[in-house]
Amino acid sequence: MDILIPDNWLRDFLKTKATPEKIAKCLSLAGPSVEKIEKSESILVYLIEVTTNRIDSASVYGIAREAAAILPRFKIPAALQPVKVASSQKLAGTVDYLSVKVDPVLCKRFTAILIHDVKVGPSPKHIQERLSAVGIRPINNIVDISNYLMQELGQPTHTFDYDKIKGARMVLRASKPGEKITTLDGKTHELSGDDIVIEDGGGRLVDLAGIMGGGNSAIDPHTRNVLLFVQHYNPINIRRTSMRLSHRTQAAALFEKGLDPENIELTVRRGIDLFVELAGGKPAKTIFDIYPKAYKPKVISTRVGFIEERLGTKILKKDITRYLLALGFGVRTMGNAITVSVPSFRAEDINLPEDIVEEVARIYGYHNLPSALMMGALPEKLHNSPFDFEKRIKDLEKTLGAIEVYTSSLVSKELVSLQDVSPRALKLKNPLGKESEYLRSSLAPSLVQVAKRVGEKEPFHIFEIANVYLSPGKQSLPDEKMTLGGVFFNYSWREARGIVETILRNFSIQAEFEPENSMGFLLNHRLTINVGKDNIGEFGTLEGRGLVYYEFDVESLRTFAKLIPGYQPEPKYPPQIEDITLLLPSKIYIGPVIENIRKTNNIASVELVDNYQNTVTLRVTYQDSNKTMTDKEVQTIREKILQVLDKKFGINIKD
Amino acid sequence: MEEQIQNLKNQALAQIISSETPEDLESLRVTYLGRNGHINKIVEKIPTLELQQRAAIGRMVNDVRVAVEEALRSQYIDLTTQQKTEWFDPTVPGIIPKIGHLHLITQAIEEISEIFQRIGFVRVRYPEVEWDWFAFEALNMPKNHPARDEWETFFVDTPSHLRYGQMVLTPHTSSGQPREMQRVKVPPIRMINIAKTYRRQFDQTHAPMFHQFEGLVIDKGINITHLKGTIDHFARQFYGPGAVSRIRPFHFRFTEPSFEVDFSCVHCMGKGCKFCKSGWHEVGGAGMVHPNVLRAGGIDPKKYTGFAFGWGVERTLLLKPGVNINDIRTLYGTDLRYLKQF
Repeated sequence: MDILIPDNWLRDFLKTKATPEKIAKCLSLAGPSVEKIEKSESILVYLIEVTTNRIDSASVYGIAREAAAILPRFKIPAALQPVKVASSQKLAGTVDYLSVKVDPVLCKRFTAILIHDVKVGPSPKHIQERLSAVGIRPINNIVDISNYLMQELGQPTHTFDYDKIKGARMVLRASKPGEKITTLDGKTHELSGDDIVIEDGGGRLVDLAGIMGGGNSAIDPHTRNVLLFVQHYNPINIRRTSMRLSHRTQAAALFEKGLDPENIELTVRRGIDLFVELAGGKPAKTIFDIYPKAYKPKVISTRVGFIEERLGTKILKKDITRYLLALGFGVRTMGNAITVSVPSFRAEDINLPEDIVEEVARIYGYHNLPSALMMGALPEKLHNSPFDFEKRIKDLEKTLGAIEVYTSSLVSKELVSLQDVSPRALKLKNPLGKESEYLRSSLAPSLVQVAKRVGEKEPFHIFEIANVYLSPGKQSLPDEKMTLGGVFFNYSWREARGIVETILRNFSIQAEFEPENSMGFLLNHRLTINVGKDNIGEFGTLEGRGLVYYEFDVESLRTFAKLIPGYQPEPKYPPQIEDITLLLPSKIYIGPVIENIRKTNNIASVELVDNYQNTVTLRVTYQDSNKTMTDKEVQTIREKILQVLDKKFGINIKD
Repeated sequence: MEEQIQNLKNQALAQIISSETPEDLESLRVTYLGRNGHINKIVEKIPTLELQQRAAIGRMVNDVRVAVEEALRSQYIDLTTQQKTEWFDPTVPGIIPKIGHLHLITQAIEEISEIFQRIGFVRVRYPEVEWDWFAFEALNMPKNHPARDEWETFFVDTPSHLRYGQMVLTPHTSSGQPREMQRVKVPPIRMINIAKTYRRQFDQTHAPMFHQFEGLVIDKGINITHLKGTIDHFARQFYGPGAVSRIRPFHFRFTEPSFEVDFSCVHCMGKGCKFCKSGWHEVGGAGMVHPNVLRAGGIDPKKYTGFAFGWGVERTLLLKPGVNINDIRTLYGTDLRYLKQF
């Protein structure tokens, strides 16, 4: 979370001559990160990012404590000035002004004090300025005291109009499902059953604890007696309520991280002082404090050697001790053994010797540690790694003039696949919107969408390699199928198919193209691409704008690819090449005809030279690997071919 | 006979060299190499020769045939490529061949994986649609922990797995850490996992789908200096020899200590300028693998230590000098005029 800390406020607790820039730099290197220094009116303000584990430093005093530990390591003298309090009231588990019943699971420490004869009015200028500098609008002295305490000490507080608490009695309990409370912003919330609420002697809910007070017990301009309320709430309950109601206040953000119960006494005493000073209040003689389980310091044992191993450098025991003491830890050493006792404000965060390593290392300074690549054995390369092959495909596509695009895996229902949404498509529980609600099971709709947006008339060819997601329908993760998809615009069928065939040829894959209709494609304009019995892809013209689309399953390509095809010696004897022009009866596919010729003995290749209406010219290459073929031998083969073509397809040679 | 053949060769070569058009050349080819050409005439005589002469003459004739063929080919190239006498405009523009373009993200991923593979990292890939356990719990983030908020995770609308919990879209490549530990079982591990990741966010610097790369190193005696060394190495390789990195304190549940990683600004070399303000750019997180994470992956934290880092490919790329893109939405644009620039 980001917090704002005014420089002049910080210096109430931090005695140092360091400039704000210097403080910012040192803190960022060894503690909380100072994102920038801003000027608000005449006050310099640090914008600081406090990590979730260091909620103890989310306050002016908390930052001062960090700075006092960090600055000396940069050779800058600095000292922490403790918070001075004048309040000397006793703490007691019973008081005459309030009787309570507290659920100890929801509230680890319940603290309150009655302050009489408060005069509501504006706060003094310096308080108002400081609050404004951290982005809080000054309201009146009572509200401002609450806010001031939270900024300064990191502990949220609440103030009730004491006279509105019926029967001077409070019950702190979990809410009941369906129960309602109207908070002081006028909103009514229905409660779930695990919110923390306070009920007064009249059976009314007067506080949605940790989130916002009830409207029925709020301070108003006529308030005379104030109940100052400082508590430790169970972070899990606060978090649930705050999330459920989408009410993310600074107080909730603090409570839900787990605050230090020991900080409560300081906060309530500082609060009493401020009420006396700013509102002329007369505090009761006793602070009401129910704190059944006081903090017992946690102890962690480690060794100098362990810290050195993790840091990768030598470090003196006395330096370790000095750094930890400055951060508020207790330290005992015996030989190389170090016993660290953890202060209450770090109790949630420090659990392991590794946590001690972190504290020592950051104060020592990460920037002071050496930098070296690791030695040691290398792991084995991934068996059958797919990455090189995918890169080969991309490079080949580039060579063939294709432009690579990246489109989102998250699509609308309409763009999941060319077919209707199948039950195998995965849907999100919490999408950002309808347009990204599903995980796609085909690249085709996304690529078509890109192609449609291009304004150009010039031909283009785009492609993408990405996963598509197919749910197996059982309780297991979806099949993530790496897929190559491409779209041609303004390419002829033959040009487009030539590119797709080149991809196959480049990997020496012998594939067959079979006509087969499917949804989304123009009728009779689609081919499946197969190797033996395995379907590895498809090619065809899409319905609509006549874009040509192809798709391959990348893993199938990889399975059938021969990356090193094996050397074939060049033929020793010359081929004979001739063009044959055929007359095709209507509705005869040329593909099987060519295939038929190609499979004849001693035919090296068959190419389509020309086709016009029902006339087709093929260039046939005859080759025998053992000898030069005579004209007679060629003639025998040609006659055999023509015989078969006539019988099988009813095709005749053109005279 | 030998002399006759030698003369034939000289004559043929002389005529070929002095020929002036491809048509002349073709008629010379017929004259010498044709079915009834000079060379075949000699070949026809071979059977009439004395037995001991035949082999030698045969070889000689063949040499002549090869020499003539070569001369014909060479002269043909000369004739067709040199048009010395005609007027020629050398300033005429070239015809640009059509080549394609690979996306910047592909180029960045390639470069990143090369850099790490050269220092022994193994590139892997793990599920994008993953169980909660791998994305969070194994990474020391129990259910309902506030630390999870930072990941703004998408959930898939399917029943939960009894052991692994909800199905999520991986909000980070760190889910590959426990996967890699389970795969390798016994260190050393040097993993580089580059994959698509997803978060519920969309603005100038965040897209709901983006790419991350995750490094994971586990072995005996791995410490912070090795993490620094690796990051420095990457900075120099990716951004240039002058680039440096720094690590600053941060917090992640799955590393202890945890760091934020900055690279020196490539525009001002760390002095501070309008791009970086402080001289540094934040790129992402890193840290020493938390003992609980090692344990979840089946590795004994008493024997082994490790470090990990995970950064956005996009962020890392946009900081590279010369890319000149500052909005992630531009990066994922599909305007061909943009795509053709790279």
